[in-house]
Amino acid sequence: MTNSTAQQRTYSDTEPFPVRYNSTILERFVDTIEGWRDVRTLDMGPVCRENITFFARRMSRHYACDMFSRLQRALEQKPVPGDVIRHLDYPPRSFDGIQLWDLIDHLDNNQVKQLVERCFDMLRSTGLLMLIAFEKKPVPTTINAFITGRQYQVDLRIQPHLDLPWYCRHNRALMSLLADFNIVKLFRYRNGLREILIKKPGLVRD
Amino acid sequence: MLGKTKKPENDTPFTAAKIEEEKPARTPPRPTPTPTPTPAPTQAPTPSEEKTTIGQHIIIEGQIRGEEHLVIEGEMKGNVQMEKHNFTVGSNGRVDGEIRAQNVSISGQLKGAINASGKVEVTKEADFLGDIKAKSISVEDGAYFKGSIELAREPHRKSSITETSKGLSTPHTGKAGYPTPTDTKKEP
Repeated sequence: MTNSTAQQRTYSDTEPFPVRYNSTILERFVDTIEGWRDVRTLDMGPVCRENITFFARRMSRHYACDMFSRLQRALEQKPVPGDVIRHLDYPPRSFDGIQLWDLIDHLDNNQVKQLVERCFDMLRSTGLLMLIAFEKKPVPTTINAFITGRQYQVDLRIQPHLDLPWYCRHNRALMSLLADFNIVKLFRYRNGLREILIKKPGLVRD
Repeated sequence: MLGKTKKPENDTPFTAAKIEEEKPARTPPRPTPTPTPTPAPTQAPTPSEEKTTIGQHIIIEGQIRGEEHLVIEGEMKGNVQMEKHNFTVGSNGRVDGEIRAQNVSISGQLKGAINASGKVEVTKEADFLGDIKAKSISVEDGAYFKGSIELAREPHRKSSITETSKGLSTPHTGKAGYPTPTDTKKEP
């Protein structure tokens, strides 16, 4: 990286969008819960064949609830945007793992608080929550699905049907929203992408 | 409109029945007679390749059982049982019920459980709410989807992992809100 690019990046309000990378957090997430019995996972990301097949073949039962599409429809409701969190109507302690992907980057603080509360409720003790968050708004600002590939390589695929707002947060603001959970692992990439694996407190699984 | 049509195989997304058509061509009769003629093999009953379409102005309530492919373009409330045939919810179709079929394709609305011995296809126009049990699944980007999926599982790669969860039994590195020693920077 040249000095001029570094300077440009420092003072820019945006970050370059990642293209493809190997996700350490995803591997940890899958490796940890894959061996448990009767594992149930929930994916809130944009639905895609690859992710559904990847997780459904590894977990006892995999759930997908496309919160991105639901958020899109909620925001389109007039005169007042709809409540998107109501779609997460699963009973308490339903899941061993939840993947949020970068959903919280498209929710305001109030919605994130509600979402995190719901996730806390839906997870079993010691259950894992995996999320991705950008520190700054990436360029381009298109919405992408994080596609799981071989060897936990994550590809990004544009979701042209989605047009959602961005609420990027600095580390401290983000962590305060996740304060009820214990941090297992946090990776911060140089391009501003953060992968976070957190765990619901508890000594044993419910 | 209730249309019953015999469609060419190319029009359907599934190819299960095509195998029946790909039998070797009959050999021409030979001039020399064979000393011990064997009886002609009995032809196995082929599953019907006919297809019934429920038109978009039709509303059905009740159970459907069938021996041919079914396409719903209208509205249907009830269970469908057709283990050896394909079930399709067209882009105008709305179905509320339990589906048992060989292959299932959804382009419209489906609320309920699917039990497919083959593949389930969910297109980007689909609105699905329910549970899926199938051999394989294909979901297009853009589908409005909420449900559970149960596929044939891959064997565990690491069977030694116990419920104490590898790597997580040790205390976590810090409480949320504070920088942790695990922070790592790397270029994707």
